[in-house]
Amino acid sequence: MKSLAELLNGIRPEFDFRLSRDFIGDGMLDSFDMVTLVSTLDKTYGISIDGVDIVPEHFQNLDTITTLLHRYGVQP
Amino acid sequence: MKIVGSIGEAIDAVNLARRGAKSYCSNFFFAPQKLQGWIAHREVLCEGANGAVLFLRQDRDFWHLYFCATDPVALRCAVAALPMLRTEPVITDVVGQEAALVELLGLLENAGFRRYNRLLRMARTAPPATTTAAALDPRMVTAGKEDCQPILDLLLRSFDCRAEQIPMLYEVEAAVEAGQIWLARCGSALGGLLFHEAQGLTSTLRYWLVAAEYRDQGLGSALMNRYLAECPRVRRFLLWVLADNARTIQKYEHYGFAPEGLVDYVLANDRIGP
Repeated sequence: MKSLAELLNGIRPEFDFRLSRDFIGDGMLDSFDMVTLVSTLDKTYGISIDGVDIVPEHFQNLDTITTLLHRYGVQP
Repeated sequence: MKIVGSIGEAIDAVNLARRGAKSYCSNFFFAPQKLQGWIAHREVLCEGANGAVLFLRQDRDFWHLYFCATDPVALRCAVAALPMLRTEPVITDVVGQEAALVELLGLLENAGFRRYNRLLRMARTAPPATTTAAALDPRMVTAGKEDCQPILDLLLRSFDCRAEQIPMLYEVEAAVEAGQIWLARCGSALGGLLFHEAQGLTSTLRYWLVAAEYRDQGLGSALMNRYLAECPRVRRFLLWVLADNARTIQKYEHYGFAPEGLVDYVLANDRIGP
């Protein structure tokens, strides 16, 4: 299975997501990318991320996304 | 509907629609700073019930409808129950991959909207040009306070404010203050402009234009070259362009932009003319 960084690179191949602590602030993910990412995570891990969790703070960096996935019982 | 008094109120309303949403649908992709400006100018109304929240933002002589809904059914009910749709000129839009928009487009068309225009998002991901020669072109200058109204006048003359979200004067003033607008001067006249917004490694090109009477003098390419040269950190350039504007799309392609698959359908109700 692909790592989280690889999944992100599938959406935005031009960025190295391991180098940033703030994907939104650094301009690496926008609102539309977040929607695509949620859909990718849902499909990859067989989960359904609740709408109330689709907020920038959960998609700030690899750690925050990992924490979110843990809440859905996923170990990325 | 009630006037939205703070950004917190807007976020609380959105979260009501998000909670438990399995088919969440929205066109409310706001930048907090932009929303803050609209709220401070009392331009935004809000109404929410039964899994959907609708925002109406006053934009000159029409309203722009934004929505957040638990699912399309909740959206359909909320839109059908909105009296302003029958009395006021209203524009809305849906953004996404073409194939994913079929249901939302159908729902909004059934609610009385018609397709008004369509925009494509184009992206340029190659490293920016390294030349700085364009920056030395003396006709290219950063806009100053005195330029705000002429900039807005030129934007309103050149673009369709219903489809292309022309900023209000206070937004132009903020962009000038932030150094986001470059001008091509022709003597004392404003020959063209380039308006951009940067966010970290991404820069969005909002408007790039040369006034009709100053075309074929190299102003457009000088503006674009300066833009690309002065954003050395940017790895991703984005813009929205009208899908039927083949001439402009060709120009963007010349500078390395390509459509990336996102489309924005602009829809109008029957109070908006053709």
